[in-house]
Amino acid sequence: MSGFKDRADLALADRILKVAVERTAGTAEAKRAVAVDAFPDFEAARDRAAAIKDHVVAHLGAYLEQFEASATAAGAKVHWASTADEACRIVIDICKAAGAKSVARSKSMLGEEIGLPHALAEAGIGRVETDLAEHIIQLADERPSHIIWPAMHKTREQVSALFKAKHRSPHAEETIAAMAESARRELRTQMLGADVGISGANFLIADTGAVCTVTNEGNAELSLVPPRVHIVTAGIEKIVPSMPHAIHMLRMLARSATGAALTQYTTFYTGPKRAGDRDGPEEMHIVLVDNGRTKMREEGLAEMLRCIRCGACMNHCVVFRQIGGHAYGGTYPGPMGAVLTPVFDGLKESRELANACTLNGKCQEVCPVRIPLPTLLRGWREKSWREGLEPTSMRAGLSLWAWVATRPRLYRLGTGMAVRAMRMLGRKGWIDKLPLVGGWTRYRDMPKPAARTFMAQYKKERRS
Amino acid sequence: MSARDTIFARLKGDAPSKAEADALLIAPERPRVDEAALEAEFLARLALPSISATHDVIDDMAQLPAAVARYLESQNEALTLCMPPDPRLVACDWQGFTLHDRAAPDEAAAIAVARRGIAESGSLIFETGPTAPMLPNFLALHHIVLLRVDDIMPYLEDAPLPGVQPRAHYWITGVSGTTDIEGTYVRGAHGPRFLHVLLLRQ
Repeated sequence: MSGFKDRADLALADRILKVAVERTAGTAEAKRAVAVDAFPDFEAARDRAAAIKDHVVAHLGAYLEQFEASATAAGAKVHWASTADEACRIVIDICKAAGAKSVARSKSMLGEEIGLPHALAEAGIGRVETDLAEHIIQLADERPSHIIWPAMHKTREQVSALFKAKHRSPHAEETIAAMAESARRELRTQMLGADVGISGANFLIADTGAVCTVTNEGNAELSLVPPRVHIVTAGIEKIVPSMPHAIHMLRMLARSATGAALTQYTTFYTGPKRAGDRDGPEEMHIVLVDNGRTKMREEGLAEMLRCIRCGACMNHCVVFRQIGGHAYGGTYPGPMGAVLTPVFDGLKESRELANACTLNGKCQEVCPVRIPLPTLLRGWREKSWREGLEPTSMRAGLSLWAWVATRPRLYRLGTGMAVRAMRMLGRKGWIDKLPLVGGWTRYRDMPKPAARTFMAQYKKERRS
Repeated sequence: MSARDTIFARLKGDAPSKAEADALLIAPERPRVDEAALEAEFLARLALPSISATHDVIDDMAQLPAAVARYLESQNEALTLCMPPDPRLVACDWQGFTLHDRAAPDEAAAIAVARRGIAESGSLIFETGPTAPMLPNFLALHHIVLLRVDDIMPYLEDAPLPGVQPRAHYWITGVSGTTDIEGTYVRGAHGPRFLHVLLLRQ
């Protein structure tokens, strides 16, 4: 795979991508603002949401034990996986034991994180992605580019072409409604005929053993009720103590994600079908996945375990809005992805993500659980420096800067000369080409600096 | 060491105190609801563009079949209905209807009884059981829901019913919708495209 900079270059050069990302993220930003304004004291609600998650993370072991006991009492079978591979193996074994030829999958970022689509394909098990966006990217053989709108990088024209090539009876009319109808026809029989339904979990309720999923399409329910077996894959941090705690988090989730007060469908599944029930699976399996979460808790990333995967941070991120999700290269894009990807893929491979951040703090301002994302990103930058992962040119450059910066007279002399040189390159207030930083000025202009440096102006003011 | 042992070995710690967990729930921030006007509050939310449900009011159960017929006819649908074996529904006179209790893949209309209505969000609360299957409510194009006015409660915290948790407890707050193509909202993504609530005043 190419590096982050190459992927970002490609993304920046893609005009269609920019339009597609802007349409969805822009709408999400506007709708969230309306929803938050209408909510009484959203700031206090964010404090509470953060406190609930911190409480859970502090007592994670005890809550997981409680959840395991409650879910087991309700008839579910709880499995544990330390790694992504282990989690996939458990899911594949359950599918094989059930004689499954096809699974219906309801969108789950944890499933993407552990590589479940790939594992199912390797095992020869057919997979039907039932979320409309996941269906689109399955047909296109791509990865999600956003955690709420996985196909946000696709324009309607691209989706139309895809459905016409792959659907059995595609739409005739070029409208988004007709395209959605085409997917409805295509997916319905496949969902009803699946042997196993696989979902993630938005929340796991410790005291009842319930698994909560939220969707706007109702595809989770249509994927999970008809098959004989329901498998849940969930990160261990998804626990909340009780239903009222989940309710507070649900109020925060939908408003932060889409600007809605609530998603259309919110379901709490507690165990398999009961005696006398007219539908529901005969087996329910819950695979609880660590995959680096206990390590995050121990190594200064506990706050990241608050994340409820709403996507607000990326919708409001100036970098994400320019390059979209694929450029990040990991399962999770945007600011939360830049914090999480080094955990899953290693800092050496993904250290550039922490640098692809302006530290403007917008992500932290909108995060419903107040994750200090810029601080966590700075933490990765520092670790990368300490471990010697930054390239020699960067280390030499920064060392030189540090040497000059600790010699104020030299520093002022240098900046004074730089300002004069930069002003000579500027036209109409902007500099469109600058030696040594061509990569920066290729996509944007730099404002022409003031005639004198801040220190020069400050000294002049003090004298007068 | 099993994966379970490995995980728990890293998560040693105090058991949470119930008081601490409960303290996190005191005076939750939530939308304001006029508890003296629950029906009006609920109906106002049902009419929001995000939900766009229609409603009708009946005074007693005897009026239910006529109200359902009125709705289906207004939608140019046949009087064919997927109806669960809920004794309150079965007891009505459904003359003129074609009824069945298993939903077809292309089911046109299904009726169900909601256990609660929530004024805060306009949500309808359902629970599965021997007389309350789940699938028809997600398959049908028209989802018709009977709700007693007395079952309208102010907040989502009122949604869980007392007693043993059912296999599935679910909230429906609108119709199956998607914004997955360019963020444009489309109704009827996979499930119901129309939601019609019949409020029982009795």
